[in-house]
Amino acid sequence: MNLRLHIWRQAGPDATGMLKTYDVANVSEHMSFLEMLDVLNEDLISKGEIPVAFDHDCREGICGTCGMVINGRPHGPVAKTTVCQLHMRTFKDGDEIYIEPWRARAFPVMRDLVVDRGSLDRIIQKGGFVSVNTGNAQDGNTIPISKLDADRAMDAAACIGCGACVAACPNASAMLFTAAKVGHLASLPQGQAERSTRALHMVLQMDAEGFGACTNHLECEAACPKGISVEFIAQMNRDYLASAIGGRD
Amino acid sequence: MRAFGEVWRSNIFQKWVMAITGLLLFLFLIGHLSGNLLIFLGPEHMNEYGHSLRTMVHGAAIWLVRGGLLLVFVLHVWSAIRLSQRNRSARPERYAKVDSRTSTIASRSMALSGLLMLVYAIYHLAHFTWGTAHAQFYAGQKGWEYTLADGIVVPDVYRMVIASFHEPLITAVYILAMILLGLHLNHAIASAFQTLGVTNKRIVPVIRLVGPLLGIGVAIGFCSVPLSIIAGLVH
Ligand code: HEM
Ligand code: SF4
Ligand code: FES
Repeated sequence: MNLRLHIWRQAGPDATGMLKTYDVANVSEHMSFLEMLDVLNEDLISKGEIPVAFDHDCREGICGTCGMVINGRPHGPVAKTTVCQLHMRTFKDGDEIYIEPWRARAFPVMRDLVVDRGSLDRIIQKGGFVSVNTGNAQDGNTIPISKLDADRAMDAAACIGCGACVAACPNASAMLFTAAKVGHLASLPQGQAERSTRALHMVLQMDAEGFGACTNHLECEAACPKGISVEFIAQMNRDYLASAIGGRD
Repeated sequence: MRAFGEVWRSNIFQKWVMAITGLLLFLFLIGHLSGNLLIFLGPEHMNEYGHSLRTMVHGAAIWLVRGGLLLVFVLHVWSAIRLSQRNRSARPERYAKVDSRTSTIASRSMALSGLLMLVYAIYHLAHFTWGTAHAQFYAGQKGWEYTLADGIVVPDVYRMVIASFHEPLITAVYILAMILLGLHLNHAIASAFQTLGVTNKRIVPVIRLVGPLLGIGVAIGFCSVPLSIIAGLVH
């Protein structure tokens, strides 16, 4: 199939960017979206032009590195799919496709479709971990965990930190990401020791990074490639209040 | 504990303030609506109700409620403005194309519907409470006294409402304001419970269904008064 792409091109963090139009021919429906961009880049390189920069790593939907807004939807039109797992059979011959980077004050564009998601890392550094002493590993199953709690923790832990929730949110809020991390550890016995300060520290960092607040549009849940539920946001709202007024910090 | 100011300024805390004050305002509106609907029982009931509001606890109750309401309103509007500003600045560059999946006109226009309601609320008070906006319809004017069954003479609130809503412009503005209220509450009620942290899997779907219905229902309830007056059902 033949496609017309409108891609955000920006030379560097401080350069002004704009949408540029490219035509790609003979795209196979079996290609992934990133492979289609690879084809475009080969073509650009052979013409002596600068290829389109985009992030990617595993290309199997598990690392959270890839991400771009395709026709107004983060990771493209298919629900619960990362852009590396999006196939060109979703599109048809003659389609026009708009491709833009995640847009948020806290995600500055580095180049073309690549944004700096260090803000998410700094939220994790404020409390998205459990502190354990070094030494011998504990025997498996020494800490009893109910199936219900284990499943819930697993649902939250599915977050791959891609940032699509921020990109989809009209307020560029990172509530779903942060709530997934807080909810993951809050569901497990190992997470209880630091629970009383975790939500407080992570939420204050989220604010400091310049993410917006939640208006409960629920766009994040719909855009999340892992289907993380906004239920975790509700839970974090409670955890935050508890740690803000009752916590030890 | 953290410095209170730091917690107070945080987005989630402001959302708590917004949700609690919003629900309190909603409770007040249900009370207000119940009073308005007394018009269907005739002048005696409506005017008697107005009189009892003004004289409850020797007239102290109404000032306590007014003071509380003002505080709640100010807190709600103040957090609304702060959060809306932050939300706007969190996305300095817009997308060329947006294809939203779950947000609605109601959820995206909360700040607009709220701000317009604020303007309306001030005009509404000037009209019905202070008697400055449409003095010719004010219940407190000379000649508009009503004598209750027990002989007490009170302002004729019933007559004020009927006379006001015979004015097409007043009715049109009122209904427009109620559409905005319905729009605001269509998103607000379910949203508030999400902010308050309700996660129960059986309760959440009920809230998401009933919240918008309740919000729109209250708006329709308010509209029933002017519509019945125009239709000549109440006179
Ligand atoms: C009649 C009175 C009002 C009622 C009953 C009401 C009720 C509510 C409720 C229940 C919420 C949901 C809170 C949440 O999402 O957690 C809300 C949100 C909101 N209200 Fe109001 N409200 C009223 C007036 C106003 C006014 C006058 C403004 C003026 C600016 C306003 C602005 C907002 C905004 C911007 C939001 C959403 C903010 C966000 O989620 O980020 N409201 N309202
Ligand atoms: S919550 Fe979903 S959309 Fe947000 S970062 Fe995690 S995986 Fe990506
Ligand atoms: S490249 Fe790893 S999730 Fe897409």
